[in-house]
Amino acid sequence: MNEDHTQTAAEERIELDAGPRVKPFYTAADLDEERGEERPGEFPFTRGVGPARQRPLIKFYSGLGTPEQSNLRFRKLAALGVEEIQIAADLPSQIGYDADHVMAAGEVGRAGVSISSLRDMEVLFDGVGLDSLARVSMLGNAIGPIALALFVALGERQGLAREDYVVDLQNDPLKEYYARGTQFLPVEAAVRLAVDVVEWCAENAPHWYPLDACVNHINSAGAGSTAGTAFAIADAIAYVETLVGRGLDVDSFAPQLQMFLDEREDFFVAVANVRATRRVWARLMRDRFGARDPRSMALEVTAYGHGRETRQEPRNNIVRIALGCMAYRLAGVQSMYSASYDEALWTPSDEAVVASARTQQILGLEQGLDAVVDPLGGSYYVEALTDEIEREIVAQLEQVDAEGGAQACIANGYFRNVIAEGAVRRQGRFERGERATVGVNRFVSAEAALPAPKGPVVDPEVERLQGQRLAELRAERDGARVEAALAEVASAAREDRNTVPAVLEAVRAYATIGEICDRFRAELGEWTPDQQF
Amino acid sequence: MAALEHTPKVLVAKVGLDGHDVGARVIARGLVDRGMEVVYTGIRRTPEQVVAAARDEDVDVIGISILSGAHMPLLTRTAAALREDGIDDVLLIVGGIIPDDDAAALREVGVDAVFHPESTIDAIADYITEALGGRSGADAQREVGR
Repeated sequence: MNEDHTQTAAEERIELDAGPRVKPFYTAADLDEERGEERPGEFPFTRGVGPARQRPLIKFYSGLGTPEQSNLRFRKLAALGVEEIQIAADLPSQIGYDADHVMAAGEVGRAGVSISSLRDMEVLFDGVGLDSLARVSMLGNAIGPIALALFVALGERQGLAREDYVVDLQNDPLKEYYARGTQFLPVEAAVRLAVDVVEWCAENAPHWYPLDACVNHINSAGAGSTAGTAFAIADAIAYVETLVGRGLDVDSFAPQLQMFLDEREDFFVAVANVRATRRVWARLMRDRFGARDPRSMALEVTAYGHGRETRQEPRNNIVRIALGCMAYRLAGVQSMYSASYDEALWTPSDEAVVASARTQQILGLEQGLDAVVDPLGGSYYVEALTDEIEREIVAQLEQVDAEGGAQACIANGYFRNVIAEGAVRRQGRFERGERATVGVNRFVSAEAALPAPKGPVVDPEVERLQGQRLAELRAERDGARVEAALAEVASAAREDRNTVPAVLEAVRAYATIGEICDRFRAELGEWTPDQQF
Repeated sequence: MAALEHTPKVLVAKVGLDGHDVGARVIARGLVDRGMEVVYTGIRRTPEQVVAAARDEDVDVIGISILSGAHMPLLTRTAAALREDGIDDVLLIVGGIIPDDDAAALREVGVDAVFHPESTIDAIADYITEALGGRSGADAQREVGR
């Protein structure tokens, strides 16, 4: 392993977290002679989705406490120049429990904002038009049709046509079962709901982004970015196969799919991973799924500017995050979140959020990072690393295929095992001091330990307030309309029809997330946690 | 590791809705590697379910992993449920993203130790061995991994 700052023998290789073992230098001899010239905007899109310069949208994941509290933060973000806001909803909302459910106790408004119904969304976006941002967004991994319906119904309430705004959903349930943990339905049912969203958007909102296959949590859980990318692509294959199985032409929906890529351990791997993934995706869409539209093959990418942030000396994280953002800018992603420097401590303070937004803006405007498409293309090292990561992603994908695909790998524990082994390997490297973290296991100094400003406090009243709001809502709304809409949700689920129209009507009637999810649970069954480790 | 009279039995648990359980699994595996008996109850358990499992499994230690920020209400409930069940001789330890002020408050409500993400598994195992070996020891309550 690498000793910091020491000379190594000319042939000694360093093993990167993502897998490749890199040499001290690279030359033209390391390039693939058969490749020929690749150009941005041309198959296989290694160098980017288009030939024109473009700047990634600045995207923030935000939400805490009550909708009122988060609305204030949203307004501040918009004023800072943030272009896409992704609602961070609390865990009850993500898992389909209302704020007054027994399982929600202690969690309401904690890891995100409490949302139980369209009423909460109206407050959350009060004074922030959905069309005032380039895109609006929500994870909705386990509740995809509801997340979609909340934005459709809120747009209607704000007097907007669907053409006026852009909705961007993660809606990627498969990785929840092995890397993130908000699943509550059986796997098959969750895939079906996610795919309902893609199908509905293909027909009704072709400019929206209904699903991104997400590497972020798989990598950080332990798989590493290379295996993580292969697993996320395998998840995407499962969704695409389901859609094609419904009779949809792949070109009718594939241009709307994205991937959320992630590498936090190595700057050049982050760049090469994006380039390699675009190449793998283009071949997959063309050769495996028979896509003909270049837009189906050109993968749009979102990413999160992160380093390995630490609790200690939190301001150092500004540098880590900036480097993560810089790698993704050089790689040519379409939208980018950036972490805030105090995220390892708590939900970000206003000051940390400002620093994060400014990091992206400074990188974009002040140093020419966006002046040329794929500026690292042609680097011996970056090209060789791109090729190596591509080969390893393809090899991992073949392994997943041999296991029977993503759903089989969830059922037989393959994904879980790779992640657990990777997590143990990272912990071992950390414990042996091989994984350098400045201020934690290198150059530790009491002098450097300046505290960060505290994060926002969750009002201890939030649970009671949200419960009270729900009681009022249930008293005020048209109960008969709600009951009829919920019955229709149940029959759509039971009869294997696309659930989005029924869910949309229920959301418009102010049915709650919990009520809709209870119908799903009753009709589609419930996931039960396993106890293996 | 100092010799104990019996193999320590540890219940590793997630409480509340937080689904990030890699840390819990890594620690469960690590404690097994260090000779302990480990039971893991999986994600999304209520404090009452965890305490019932601890009683049924007759464990020496409950190790709760929590990263969602809901540690104060959920650990307060866990400690209270342990007292109500009369099994408050069980060592209750917590790992996760816990601000220092909250770590102090958690010890007030009955948590024996708080570990941060950069704690080593050896540090956790050593703490358990030491605390179980000298339950009457004055320094059984401390914070490790700062």
